[in-house]
Amino acid sequence: MRAVIYLYRKNLKNRIKIALRKPITYFFLILIAFYLFALPFSLKMVVEQFSLNSSEGMAAVLTVFAFWSLPANIIAYAKRKGLVYRSSDVHFMFPSPVSPKAVLLYAHLKTLFMQLLMNLFAVVYGGILFHVEPWRLAVYFIFSIMAENLLEGSLMMLLYGSERLNEKFRRLVVKAAYGMAGIFILIGLVIYLREGFSWASVTKFLHSGAVQLVPLAGWYIAVIHLLFMGATVYSVTGTVLYCLTFCLVVAAAWRMKCTGDYYEDAVKFSEDYEEVLASRRQGNMDKRLGKKKRFGKAQVRWKGGGARALFYRQLLEYKKTRYFIFDINTLIAALGGAGIAWFYVREGGFGDFSPYVLPAVSAYLIFIFTAMNGKWSKELGSPYTYMLPDNPFSKLINATGIQLLQGVINGCLLVLPGAFVMRLSPWVTVLCVVFYAGMYANKLYALAVAQVIAGSALGRTGRQLVQLMIQSAVILMALAGAVIGNLLGTVVSSYILMDFTLLLCTAIFMVIAALNFYRMETV
Amino acid sequence: MLEVIGLTKKYGSTLAVDDVGFAVPDGKVGILLGPNGAGKSTVIKSIAGLLRYKGTVRIQGLDSRTVEAKRCFAYVPELPYMYEALTIREHMEFITRAYGLTVPEEEIQALFETFELTDKQDKLGNELSKGMMQKVSICCALVIKPKVILLDEPMVGLDPAAIKELKQVILRLRDEGCTVLISTHMLEMVKELWDVTFVMDKGRILGTYPRESVADEDLEELFFKVTGCSGKGGPSSVEEAQ
Repeated sequence: MRAVIYLYRKNLKNRIKIALRKPITYFFLILIAFYLFALPFSLKMVVEQFSLNSSEGMAAVLTVFAFWSLPANIIAYAKRKGLVYRSSDVHFMFPSPVSPKAVLLYAHLKTLFMQLLMNLFAVVYGGILFHVEPWRLAVYFIFSIMAENLLEGSLMMLLYGSERLNEKFRRLVVKAAYGMAGIFILIGLVIYLREGFSWASVTKFLHSGAVQLVPLAGWYIAVIHLLFMGATVYSVTGTVLYCLTFCLVVAAAWRMKCTGDYYEDAVKFSEDYEEVLASRRQGNMDKRLGKKKRFGKAQVRWKGGGARALFYRQLLEYKKTRYFIFDINTLIAALGGAGIAWFYVREGGFGDFSPYVLPAVSAYLIFIFTAMNGKWSKELGSPYTYMLPDNPFSKLINATGIQLLQGVINGCLLVLPGAFVMRLSPWVTVLCVVFYAGMYANKLYALAVAQVIAGSALGRTGRQLVQLMIQSAVILMALAGAVIGNLLGTVVSSYILMDFTLLLCTAIFMVIAALNFYRMETV
Repeated sequence: MLEVIGLTKKYGSTLAVDDVGFAVPDGKVGILLGPNGAGKSTVIKSIAGLLRYKGTVRIQGLDSRTVEAKRCFAYVPELPYMYEALTIREHMEFITRAYGLTVPEEEIQALFETFELTDKQDKLGNELSKGMMQKVSICCALVIKPKVILLDEPMVGLDPAAIKELKQVILRLRDEGCTVLISTHMLEMVKELWDVTFVMDKGRILGTYPRESVADEDLEELFFKVTGCSGKGGPSSVEEAQ
């Protein structure tokens, strides 16, 4: 265990040191700090609106979390998934004489830092939003870190590591966990049928005695209720059952035999995990853990030569995938569009800022998801793109053509619902779509410009930071264009100047990106 | 001594390794040969305890899954993976702690010297080239002074100087009584090292060849003859080989 603690400590310490040396860390810290600071203010209204600003409210929120987190964790452990091992662990730790139980604990230990942060977050927000007494929060923090952590760790060891539990039993545990979630749904359904759907019936469901008697997750909920709402027959019974389970599970985990039978599944998981990480580093967000990407059969009629081959190769790849050219960006745009329309109707408008909500949200979404560069970043990393005997502009257009089309479609999805409810004129609507598509194209070419500026010296993170900075500058310039246009006259002139500035910047980036195709040293 | 007895491994319904058995005595270098897909990696990973299998693997007479067996066993995988946030020095520190050893600083520095890592010991795992990672992997295996060592394609990615050093290290380990098992395709690289060769194909051991029994035969020719691949010796049946 000494070696495991050494590894954990060194890894954490070095990672923090490395992160603090990177400027992008400070950018993300500012972003997180902003969210953490702004969130209580926005949540405060919601919490007060639903009369959740009390200990009862905190118990209700934690109950909701318990509904999905506990069954989900049990399912993951029983399927021998959910523990993150890297290939380096497989290389150095698995064949070493570190006990397989300690190897399991190491994976659990890796989540400890995040758990500490989450619980601190819960404690602080519990005080600010739910006005819970400090002693209750202190007890909750200690309970979560010590007891709940130990119980979950022991459950994980039993389900993941035990060699007495065979595959059949594990499948049974998975079914039981689904059953546990099913019982919660059933209780909710009974309350709904008896009382109808109202906020009062939801509250009744979350604090119901039946929920607190459901094995494991329900017993945890009982402890939470005992702590935050005081003793009832149900919360005391559930807590006693929780304590008994705790003793049994911890003792069983302590005594269980484990010789590393689970290593094979852990190796497979680590291989999948590394594959997903490598894919994400290239900007592909559609690869999912444990899910092999399936490709269907497709054909394209290849036309032309030179850089056209890039376009048709991409088209063939897209046709073989399940959702064609639509990906998570499309989903985000569609949800964003629906969200804007819903908020507009609910709030009865956004005041003076109404005409600029659509471009502001477009810029925000594209800026936040900068790392998702899709096939384009792959093209930039491939030597064939540079070696193709064609002119650089043709390469650029063909390599990004489909993604530009994607930008237009996503732009329509984001803009049209909002434009419809805001009753924007067709001209302004088109200019809004142009802004989204222009911003999308700008993001693509900004990556190539970032490569020219950052080269290979700053690494992937450095390039991303430069890309973010370039995009920030472009957004500021477009904003300046909008302000000047507004001063000159109407909303349309403001939009025209904003789009013109954006498209001008994008055209300049295109030229720089095309010129970059003459050499590959910067990649 | 390394003993593999009746090792069988299935992936779903696919039989990857079928009743494989062989032994490498103390102070001998065994070579595991076979074409792609022969099942070598499965055998190696099973010995290293990374796979579930049927059969028995013994290291110095102990069940390979026991902590005691692992204490005298080292493994150099084909593809080295480093802890990204750990320096080379910290990798060594972790390994010595994991094996519960106190290794004198001079010994660690001597290993670094041998594999030209002295000036790079403060480099992080994610700053290393593949060749350098392989060197670190070998150093980590050697620092524990193993009784049994398993090397999976150990020469891949190494520069000529490191290959020369590694060959000398393997011969020294053998002379000190260590059991060495090497899985490789690079027959040229191991021709002066081997004491016994195990030829595998389609998940089975086709033949075991101690050096003294094939004194004049070239390792490459032997491989082609036994596996029936497109070598000069022409095909020969599995039965004949066995």
